[in-house]
Amino acid sequence: MATEPSAEASQRAVENLAAKLRRRQIVGSRETALETVLVLRQVISKARFSNIDQLVETIRSVGRKLVDAQPKEYTVGNTVRKVDDGPPTSKPTFSIAKFVSQGQPRKQATPQKISHEARGTLKENNPDDPDAFARTLKPVLMEAIQDVFDELETVYDNISKNAKDHIHSDEIILTIGKSNTVAAFLKSAAPYRKYTVIVAETAPSNSGHEMAEILSSAGISTVLVPDSSIYALMSRINKVILGAHAILANGGMFAITGSLLAAAAARAHSTPVVVCAGQFKLTPQWNLYHEYGALDFGDPSSVLGFEEGDLVDKVDVINPFYDYVRPEMVDAYITNDGDHPPSSVYRLIKEAYDDEDYEL
Amino acid sequence: MAPKSSAVAKERLEVNEEEVLQAVVLADSFNKRFAPLTRHKPRCLLPICNAPLLDWTFESLALAGVQEIFVICRSHAELVKAAIKNSKWSKPSTGLKIVPIVTAKETFSPGDAMRDIYTHGIITSDFVLVTGDLVSNIRIDEVVRVHKERRKTNKDSIMTMVVKESGAHHRTRSRGDSAVFVLDPKTSECLHYEPVTGYPPKKYASIPREILAEHPEVDIRNDLIDCSIDVCSVDVPSLFQDNFDYGDIRRDFVHGILTSDLLMKNIYCYIAKNGYAARVKDTKSYDSISKDILSRWTFPLVPDDNHPGHSYEHLRGNKYIAADGSVVLSRTCKVGNQTLIGSKSQIADNAQIVASVLGQRCVIGAGSVVRHSYLFDGVVVGPNCVVEHSIIGAGAQIKEASRVERGCLIADKVIIGPGARMEPFQKLLKKCQDGRAEGEEEEEEEGEEEEANEDEDDEADDEDDSDEEDESEGEDSDSDYGEVEDNQDPAALKKLGPESNAIIWPEPKIDEDEDIDEVEHPNNQRLMRIGDDASDLELSDPGSVTSSESESEPESDAEDEDWLGGSSLASSSTSLPLSAPSNLVAQADSAALSEFQHEVTQSLDRAFTEGHSVDNAAVELKTLRMASNVPLRMVREAVVAAIASRIKIVEGGGLPQRQEIAAMVSRWGRLIDKIGGVDAVETIEILQEYCASSDRLPFFGQILAALYQEDIVEEEDIRNWHKKPSAQGDGVKPLASQENFQKCWTIGAHMIKQFDEQESEEESEEDEDEEDSSGVKNAKSAQQPGPVKATPQASLEVHDSEEDEDDDDDDDDEAEEEGE
Repeated sequence: MATEPSAEASQRAVENLAAKLRRRQIVGSRETALETVLVLRQVISKARFSNIDQLVETIRSVGRKLVDAQPKEYTVGNTVRKVDDGPPTSKPTFSIAKFVSQGQPRKQATPQKISHEARGTLKENNPDDPDAFARTLKPVLMEAIQDVFDELETVYDNISKNAKDHIHSDEIILTIGKSNTVAAFLKSAAPYRKYTVIVAETAPSNSGHEMAEILSSAGISTVLVPDSSIYALMSRINKVILGAHAILANGGMFAITGSLLAAAAARAHSTPVVVCAGQFKLTPQWNLYHEYGALDFGDPSSVLGFEEGDLVDKVDVINPFYDYVRPEMVDAYITNDGDHPPSSVYRLIKEAYDDEDYEL
Repeated sequence: MAPKSSAVAKERLEVNEEEVLQAVVLADSFNKRFAPLTRHKPRCLLPICNAPLLDWTFESLALAGVQEIFVICRSHAELVKAAIKNSKWSKPSTGLKIVPIVTAKETFSPGDAMRDIYTHGIITSDFVLVTGDLVSNIRIDEVVRVHKERRKTNKDSIMTMVVKESGAHHRTRSRGDSAVFVLDPKTSECLHYEPVTGYPPKKYASIPREILAEHPEVDIRNDLIDCSIDVCSVDVPSLFQDNFDYGDIRRDFVHGILTSDLLMKNIYCYIAKNGYAARVKDTKSYDSISKDILSRWTFPLVPDDNHPGHSYEHLRGNKYIAADGSVVLSRTCKVGNQTLIGSKSQIADNAQIVASVLGQRCVIGAGSVVRHSYLFDGVVVGPNCVVEHSIIGAGAQIKEASRVERGCLIADKVIIGPGARMEPFQKLLKKCQDGRAEGEEEEEEEGEEEEANEDEDDEADDEDDSDEEDESEGEDSDSDYGEVEDNQDPAALKKLGPESNAIIWPEPKIDEDEDIDEVEHPNNQRLMRIGDDASDLELSDPGSVTSSESESEPESDAEDEDWLGGSSLASSSTSLPLSAPSNLVAQADSAALSEFQHEVTQSLDRAFTEGHSVDNAAVELKTLRMASNVPLRMVREAVVAAIASRIKIVEGGGLPQRQEIAAMVSRWGRLIDKIGGVDAVETIEILQEYCASSDRLPFFGQILAALYQEDIVEEEDIRNWHKKPSAQGDGVKPLASQENFQKCWTIGAHMIKQFDEQESEEESEEDEDEEDSSGVKNAKSAQQPGPVKATPQASLEVHDSEEDEDDDDDDDDEAEEEGE
């Protein structure tokens, strides 16, 4: 199987993406999710399998490889899980898609039954025509992948369709860093409401500058402020809207550095904190242990320049990309699948992924 | 499945459109700074943060999108080859093609290696040249892009060096082997390169005058880390081939190219704003680069993320513990910041590990302290030991209650102790046991201990006694080694403990007679040693330098740094060597000058009478200039004077005179620009000067016009010259010549006017007779000392313009003249 040229090509595509992830040539959760879908599609279209276990093993091994390459880009794993878990539809293909999703035959009673059904109809491991199984299954799988892909494509629209229900006229909203989701959300409310956005510049990446530009070019009245004034301004702010890097099963989230600062200040003033994020960011992991190790740390040069030779030897500088924001600091998650409080994130995750797939 | 096929097509497109980027890795260091660690293993296979240096280098190159890598190996070539073969980089899926090339043992310098590359003929396009001990996350592809862009406009830009701004006191910047870069801040061309050694401290950097003359703005920098990443064009190996004495890439090649007048090649610097790059040149940089990796300057090349080989978990305080959960940390042990602990290591009770790197399967005994040290795989440190600022090779054993002082290097499989006391900066090597006593196979570590144990010497028996230390092993192939072993000091060996199997690697001797490379000078090397800093010189290192030296060194170092960093006014003012000996220098200079002028005249005479080609004459002049070390301007003066003075004065002037001038200028004019630099404004100045002080004054305009015709001066240059105050004769001493200057200036003014009008009016070609009349007029004016007329030229079509501009006046004059 590995010797065939087509398999080799898809193998190379996987390695390519893994290398890019490792070298941080692809960053950003949506970007990585999209790349993962594309690679998975390629892998599945080329893969040859005569029974379901082989296929699932193929998908999983690819997933493992990608996740190992960059364990901190959670959406890679999420996407693999999702592909593994084709979205439920009411068509007759449902059972097969669901079956594939389950990975190995389940121990529970109901799925087991389905898999038996599938076995019956599909004639797995047919010695006369080993490809027959693949032929029947592939279009279904492709459809499932396309669905995941479409979801990623339309995620911004779906999140922001209710924006005007969350943002009211004359409100002052604080956001931080550059998040495409938040930008789309705020922009979609702009035609209906007149409100002000305060953007913290989000040192050391200063991505807030970019965000402020995007918002003001969309005609929203925007104020760019240094991070240090977040607390001072908080008393005037009606709502804090943040982006997320990943939403964890306990309802907490990883978000750009400075989010914790903003959330803590908001909490002190009892200002609501709302997080906009696509469903693909839901991660079936808990952040109970290794709170620090789960974060991602960049190189310190944006905090302390390398040219400050004297200091470099004497101080340890850390430059975390993300903050961990605890669930009690978030009031609501706005996803493309409706709005949810942090306490029900675990339910969403249970719906989105299969238990079996938590560990890739 | 249309999207799928398009994705495939896209992929294919990507593969095709990039042309293959080649890289050459010099996997040999050509020095012995890591001895004796490098006795059985090349430096590029030493681990830094538990991955071989070569892997870091490949990772850096892969990050930059390099597709084809040639690895030049010399010492331990077999090991390097095997390492490449076994590494993940040789799998097809990485998209890298790695070709090891073994060069002859006679390759003693990077220069030799480059010549070897040339003879192999493997380089087809611009390539990246790095050393096998590079740690970098710089986007080299960006540098390559910039380099190629530059090559499009200037074929002579042969190399781009990557440097990194660091500040004068950065830990990663080598104090023993740095450099002063003179850069043009606009183009970032490297104008001059001056190597700097830490000891003896270098106080002066001499910069050729031409550089300051030719470039209005220069940066003189001593705060750059030389990353030794060079993007070279194909010419570079062949330049090495042509200059067989080039050894070091920086000190010989770069310096040589930049100071050479014959080659006329340009080298550029790329000052990396983002990213990290440094080279493990010595044990000190090994230390600092390890720390840089641990403090994540090399991100994304960090142990928990993109580490070549293993995976680590990153804990608060930049601690990295192997992620597979095989590390055993006792409850009471202390693991300090900036520490990396490899898999299957064990730290016993009350042991302390601070700012150190532990390889795989290391064992640290109870109550031991390891500080700022680097322990390779399988090192066993017994209870109650202290290890500081040292590097300890794979499989070494330090038995209980031993003390390893700062700066020690302990080679693979050495055993010391119990109770060993090592002197600071001692280097230990395992004694050779040929075929005796070892039968028992080593610990389970052995299997993974890379290639080192394939060497002919075997593991020593632990039960060996100290008295065996003195036995010399006759049949060791390495004569060095035999000598070392013969000259052991029994007293010193005694201190290494009863179970030791070590011998002491001697400090390199300071042989005054030998012509030793400055950089390799032992005192300079001290600045490159791990754990050796100037402040503790007197305290910790009485052994290797005499006391006076060790006392004077810190001072001079400080001074050196001050001067080079430009932070101390006092030292920089004293360091300008101009004031005191200037008289003597001036005398010597004037003698040299007169001799030069004499030589130049002779050489030009020969050229003119014997009709040499312009190129030959130019080469002769260049050689002369270098021999007597005079500024370019003088050569130019001589050439201009020679040309002008050789113009025959044709009686009656007119057309024949002009033809004479044109012939002369077209034959020899190009010489002016061939002598080593093009500066047309200066040429005009010189011409003016010459004409003003000789009988060629009337020809100034015509010569200038002829030069313009030959494209030796451009319109722009004439304008620029004209704007200069000196062009009007300001500051010229004799009044008479000042007048002449003025005249020349007026001629220039006329010419510029003509240019202006030509531009504005776009006139049609004019007829011949116009030229005639103007020629006549000129000849006449030449005879008259009176007001000098505008000098119209055939090409400039002056007639109309003259009429336009000062019709009456000119006509009157003309009439007057003709009347006479």
